[in-house]
Amino acid sequence: MRKLSRGAEATIYLTKIFGKEAVVKIRESKGYRVRVLDERIRYYRTRSEARTIFRAMAAGVPVPTLFGVARFSICMEKLEGVLLKDSRITPRQMRYAGAILSLLHNSNIVHGDFTPANLIAKGGKLHVIDFGLSESSNSYEDKAVDLLLMKRAVSGPLYKHFSDSYFSSSRSSKAVLARLSEIELRGRYRLRTLGPATPGKSSGNQRSQTPQRQG
Amino acid sequence: MLTLGLESSAHTFGAGIVDDGKVLANAKAMYDIGAGGMVPSKVAEFHALNAAGVIRDALDKAGITLRDLEGIGYTRGPGLGPCLQVAQLSARTLAHRLGLGVAMVNHCVAHIEIAKHASGLKDPIVLYVSGGNSQILKLAGKPFRHYRVIGETLDIGIGNMLDSLARKLCLNPAWGSTVAKTAEGGNYIELPYTVKGMDFSFTGLLTRAEELAAKMSPKDICFSVQETSFAMLCEALERALLLTNSKELCVCGGVAQSTRLRSMLTSLARENKARFGYVENEFNADNGAMVAFTAERMLLHGASTSPENCDIMQRYRAEEAAVF
Ligand SMILES: Nc1ncnc2c1ncn2[C@@H]1O[C@H](COP(=O)(O)OP(=O)(O)O)[C@@H](O)[C@H]1O
Ligand SMILES: [Mg+2]
Repeated sequence: MRKLSRGAEATIYLTKIFGKEAVVKIRESKGYRVRVLDERIRYYRTRSEARTIFRAMAAGVPVPTLFGVARFSICMEKLEGVLLKDSRITPRQMRYAGAILSLLHNSNIVHGDFTPANLIAKGGKLHVIDFGLSESSNSYEDKAVDLLLMKRAVSGPLYKHFSDSYFSSSRSSKAVLARLSEIELRGRYRLRTLGPATPGKSSGNQRSQTPQRQG
Repeated sequence: MLTLGLESSAHTFGAGIVDDGKVLANAKAMYDIGAGGMVPSKVAEFHALNAAGVIRDALDKAGITLRDLEGIGYTRGPGLGPCLQVAQLSARTLAHRLGLGVAMVNHCVAHIEIAKHASGLKDPIVLYVSGGNSQILKLAGKPFRHYRVIGETLDIGIGNMLDSLARKLCLNPAWGSTVAKTAEGGNYIELPYTVKGMDFSFTGLLTRAEELAAKMSPKDICFSVQETSFAMLCEALERALLLTNSKELCVCGGVAQSTRLRSMLTSLARENKARFGYVENEFNADNGAMVAFTAERMLLHGASTSPENCDIMQRYRAEEAAVF
């Protein structure tokens, strides 16, 4: 099999199945973590990725067709096209992506890493890949984090197209939006999403309530 | 430029002296938290009592007197308000008396700068792990040079998580290094593992570990919490390395003293053909030398504040601080 690419947790190989081009995604063992944990993560992720691809397909989300699953690997359709992150992203593509995410969320699927690195564009169409961090969840927090990851990955105007489209078709817009601002207010995302501030100007001297180390 | 740096953002009062990037002294006094937590006013009182002595100690070690100083820096934040005030007031008073400019230093940036300097890395992906913070950062240029946070904890810092666990298990002293000792030779039990892209979260893990405290041995719990939380950091880091095509990795902050974390990072770096660096423990624990080191650079670049304009910022984020 020819190696196509190496991601953070998996290596993608090119192969043929029934005469059709396919990819095999193999989750590699990581030397840094203990064996039990390593195998648990790889197994669990592989299983949940396969499950989610299947569920997403049933919900009408454009995903690669699933060909087969083993303990740590998945065989699926090879998608033509380029990663959104490697192309010039258009407003139209962002609206498309927003619609895709709301479709996922309406079926209670959270993606866990919904960024331009995991969207493949071809012609006017987008496909979602990489469901390794996905979960079946109806938690507003999880859904809001999906939005945040995209917010951080693209420019403000592009994100606006994305979120407008998402919120116009999401079933739980209000609650997700509320949770999104709540997470941002926790302070951790503030600067990162609004862009860097000027040096030395800040929210300043709020009183810390908990006797915990902050440094 | 002979620079004095003062640090008092948490439980340590530190005074360091640096000249031309070389550390001449790194004196400190550390508040003993025992089996309890930290009451900010108590810790601040401790700092106030020790400030003069620690500064004197640093001057003696460097073999200089106050009059020889050419610059002063202190930790502006982040940290606990009452604690931060002590270094701020000391720096301000000294600067006023000596007629010197002051550098207001960001605590996280100071940790990063000294670690980067010691490891000789140029533009690494940085893992900053301390009590209240757990972040992945990288230098960015716009609109000014600063460390941009590209991943971080969605809830609590890893240090505070380990401290809470230590308190729950009644370890003494109740913090991370005791968790590390207790973990030796433990067996792995399954715990929640939460990574989202380059972000991660620790509360689920902590809650479950605390539930298990009544049933399982502290040894196995400590071992599993460490393995799980450190593996989460590693996964997020690996994603950051790939996304930025970076070949350098650096760890700093209090939790960077963990030998287990460092050995995991060494392995991670090897698998990604990246260089890995860190600084000696003395500079990963809170200290004054890192503040002096960063302050010297700031002052050399004109980032000097007059004593009357000095302040503290309890939630001073790394992104808000200009880096030189
Ligand atoms: N079905 C597919 N068709 C074509 N290319 C794919 C497919 N799945 C993955 N890839 C390629 O492999 C890369 C890594 O795959 P991904 O599933 O995102 O794994 P990782 O978790 O390592 O990011 C993708 O960025 C993409 O370039
Ligand atoms: Mg991916």
